[in-house]
Amino acid sequence: MINNKHNRLAMIVVLMFGAILLFVGTDGFKAFTVEKARINKLMEENPVFPEVTIEDSKERVYPFSAFEGKYVMLTFIYTACTDVCPELEMNLYEVYRSIPEKYIGEDIVFLSISFDPTRDNPATLEKYRQYFNSDGETWRMARIPNQTELDNLLNEFGVIVIPDQNGHFQHNSAFYLVDPNGILVEVMDYTEVEAAADKVTSILTTEVGE
Amino acid sequence: MKQAIYGLVLYIFLMLPPVVTLAESVMAIHMHMQMPLFVVAGFLMAPFFQKRFPNFFAKWNSNGVPGIILFMIIVLYWLLPRTMDEALTIPAVEIFKFISLPFLAGIPLRDSWKKLGSLGKNIIYVSLSVLFGVMAWLYIASPTQLCNNYLIVEQKTLGWGFVFLALAIMIYFIQTLFIDKSEYE
Repeated sequence: MINNKHNRLAMIVVLMFGAILLFVGTDGFKAFTVEKARINKLMEENPVFPEVTIEDSKERVYPFSAFEGKYVMLTFIYTACTDVCPELEMNLYEVYRSIPEKYIGEDIVFLSISFDPTRDNPATLEKYRQYFNSDGETWRMARIPNQTELDNLLNEFGVIVIPDQNGHFQHNSAFYLVDPNGILVEVMDYTEVEAAADKVTSILTTEVGE
Repeated sequence: MKQAIYGLVLYIFLMLPPVVTLAESVMAIHMHMQMPLFVVAGFLMAPFFQKRFPNFFAKWNSNGVPGIILFMIIVLYWLLPRTMDEALTIPAVEIFKFISLPFLAGIPLRDSWKKLGSLGKNIIYVSLSVLFGVMAWLYIASPTQLCNNYLIVEQKTLGWGFVFLALAIMIYFIQTLFIDKSEYE
């Protein structure tokens, strides 16, 4: 029966190893996908929006700090995208519509940033914004012409963009909310439009007031 | 011993950078070919280790249960969408994949399988096919991208791969219940 004892001990060791492996591998059973892990980490770290110069669909060029004092609701897109981005932008439009009008433009600005600056010039963005009823003012579409600045931002906000051979990109998507000080405060599931709209509205109501 | 050499050759082949890049470029190949082949490499290399350390296996895995549990844990770990993604982006996870699949899944599987009784084997058949069935449902039905490195369409392909895998194991299991192999030997 000596063998039995060894077997039992081996089993305990194996089970403990398994529990630790799965615990560590999923951040304590909280994140089974990389995307979830990324969002959890972002919400803990609250990175600051780095200083970048953006150029919008109206050919205006300004630093991101021009939005200081306002919340900024962000998405990252490229206009040649045929699957996720249109859905992302449609959903952003739904959120835009659901937020009380008095806050729009005053306390919150919507901004869709293209990570394909070579193709998404102001003219392309101008056309693209019209597909989603964006007014180009309170919901702007813009590119970051400087690749270094763009990469830095994507890196800070954990946006993974992988170009493929056909001029398309593999990328992850979410709604990002940056507070009036330029700090990332919320990363929201872009498929849950209502939850995102409720969250943004409640933040505006508490922070800005009725 | 020849087998162990084939296993080693397969193992080295699978770790060649161009082979790794190719195998990981398609989600279904990554999950349904590269990973199982690493297990197969370990499976083939097992006799070498069994001969080298006979006492170790006899002492710690005499009834095959610890080994098969270790095998199942490693399989479960690599079924998570997250680990597959991280294998592509974090080198340490990739190295862990190269080590864990052959040495912590392939070798224990071979050592344990002969020691398990028919009940133990049946439990493994059923739990593997149920597990793969669940993974099939997860990868086919998920409306969102589970892995940042792969497209949704690839995810669905992977899910269908799991359907066939689960069915194949189930069919094999059912035939073992009706067919007495010793009659044909």
